[in-house]
Amino acid sequence: MRRLGPYAIALAGVVVITFAIALLTSSANVPGLSAVYLLLVLWLAARWGRGPAVAASIAAFLLYDYFLVPPVGTFAVRGPSEVFELVVLLVVALVTSQLAASIRRARAASEALAADSRVLYELATAALRTPQVTTALSLVCERALALPSVSRFALVAVDFTKDATALAGGELTPDEVHEAAWAYESKRSVGVTITGGAVKLMKTYPVAATAAYLTLASGVAVMRFKSDHPEPRELRRLAALIGLADLLMDRRRAALESERARGFEASDKLKAAILSSLSHELKSPIASLRAGLTALLAPQAGLRPEQQELLVDLDRQATRLDRLVGDMLALSRLEAGLELDKEPHGFAELVGTALYQLRADLKGHELAVDLPDDLPPVEVDELQVGRVLTNLVENALEWAPATGALGIGAAARDSVLEAWVENDGPEIAPVDLERIFETFWTRRARGSGLGLAICKRVVEAHGGTIRAENRRRGPRFTFTLPLAKVTAQP
Amino acid sequence: MLVVDDEVEMQRALRAGLGYHDFDVRAVGTGEDAVREAAAWRPDVVLLDLGLPGALDGFGVLQALRPATRAAVIVVSVMPGEKDKVRALDLGADDYLVKPFGTEELVARIRAVLRRQVDVSAGEPVVRAGDLEIDLARRWVTVGGRAVHLTPTEYELLRYLALHAGKPVTHTTLLRQVWGEYAVGDKYNTRYVVAQIRKKLGDDPANPRYIVNEPGVGYRLET
Repeated sequence: MRRLGPYAIALAGVVVITFAIALLTSSANVPGLSAVYLLLVLWLAARWGRGPAVAASIAAFLLYDYFLVPPVGTFAVRGPSEVFELVVLLVVALVTSQLAASIRRARAASEALAADSRVLYELATAALRTPQVTTALSLVCERALALPSVSRFALVAVDFTKDATALAGGELTPDEVHEAAWAYESKRSVGVTITGGAVKLMKTYPVAATAAYLTLASGVAVMRFKSDHPEPRELRRLAALIGLADLLMDRRRAALESERARGFEASDKLKAAILSSLSHELKSPIASLRAGLTALLAPQAGLRPEQQELLVDLDRQATRLDRLVGDMLALSRLEAGLELDKEPHGFAELVGTALYQLRADLKGHELAVDLPDDLPPVEVDELQVGRVLTNLVENALEWAPATGALGIGAAARDSVLEAWVENDGPEIAPVDLERIFETFWTRRARGSGLGLAICKRVVEAHGGTIRAENRRRGPRFTFTLPLAKVTAQP
Repeated sequence: MLVVDDEVEMQRALRAGLGYHDFDVRAVGTGEDAVREAAAWRPDVVLLDLGLPGALDGFGVLQALRPATRAAVIVVSVMPGEKDKVRALDLGADDYLVKPFGTEELVARIRAVLRRQVDVSAGEPVVRAGDLEIDLARRWVTVGGRAVHLTPTEYELLRYLALHAGKPVTHTTLLRQVWGEYAVGDKYNTRYVVAQIRKKLGDDPANPRYIVNEPGVGYRLET
């Protein structure tokens, strides 16, 4: 009915015009009145396209000929001028209807495009406004499924853990999720690609019979079509929707990753804060303990030598406990990403400070310091690197024979300073050379296992490396530090 | 000698320990008591814990003490940051000691600050650190009898360290004293000048005999 409507109107229009021309020509002879039909044809072409326009022009041709061209009442034509008039009417009708129809088609296409982009725009804003990316992705899937040629559409996210999760769209079988994960892993789409802003189906792939997989930046789009040849316009729309889904999934992944990083950071910071206050609480009683124990060591306290010896032992234990608490705090601060206070320092001065602090322990040991005069300054956190040096020297002292020799040295290598601390103690078992830097790993029953772990953290926080090796004369620890950019000063 | 610490056990231990070394010790637990006791009793040395409970903490006590008394102040603290040490020294503390410490070390520090008080009041014109001699009256520096030529900046820095021999002097204090009140500079300036002085004194930075680094804080002239 709807399709016949325009034809009925066309016919009615032609009849009305024919009747009007007949009325006019009965009172006066007006030539060229057949042009009035053209108005109708033009309007019909613009409104409904070529069909009704051509129908109207043929009807006009026939009616005009029959009722208005003498001899009236027949289809016969009297002279060549009437024939010419009729042919012109027909040709003009056909040509104008053709033109009008093509304009109409172009307008329809651009309107469809505008509608498409409006839909996409609305979808994109809605999706980006939704705080829940999954909800936004469901919206996209809904739109994709609304396309007549798409029978299934689902999105699979592949996370940093390499786990594939069906995010939105229809249910997926485990096999399909697996297939999607494989496609993502191998960066290979199956059955479909996107080229020139449209989804392109691979010719040999049965997209109607089985699901196709399109890999995205952080996931996979799984889709199936109702036929092997969907409309190009739908494929363009689908490509746009997939593009949006790609962005959203990327956003989802970024959000997850930063959340995860924040979680880690927060837990490290929290751990360091708790340990900091705990250390404070632990150190206060140790302080009283040491003050009390050492008070009794004064000769005036009048204790017997064996009692004093006992006190010295106890004080040493209290000191160890204090050290352990301090090391644990230092390590947790380093793990929480302690900010380094990096400044240019002369390496010799750092060594000097460390050796000065340990001067009591170093008594009786032979110490060889090998630092060239022209050693360039290093860009380091003085206190942290000081800790590395004291830890390494203490470690060396621990393993050197009672009066053993210790060596400290450094040399500039390319853009770093390479420094080492060595002793002539027993060699480190080859399997332990790596493990020795692990937290809580120790060669001694009495060690905390934190000293070298702290060294490793500090050196690595400075962008350097640390390693242990056995020389013929004993173990050596070598580490690198960054050189300062400034070398000259006023 | 006045001990300011909020822990009774610490007070008792220090009273006993310092008592054995013939110090006359009084102990208080709050900042307010510390200020009152310091004014009334006039101790030679105040051992001041920075972490005091109540409105007046260690820094507050230090500020209150400084104009009023000439007592030497040794600041003690559990896990002080370098900033705390610098702040305490800049507020006029004579030395700092990290808790926990042994009595022997504490006694050594107390003796050192007492000795410095005597030196300063005696107005000794020549400061000695090993074979280094700094004649403040004649602006003359020698090492083992050999004259050392310093630039004015180097001499000013060494002179300031010598005037406070044995006491840690912060980078900021050195900058202000040597380069002037409004000097804008950084620690690199003092480090550089100290390195130059060490070179001229023949002091090995890896094994310093005269000028000792106070990591994160400043320098001290060893006596």
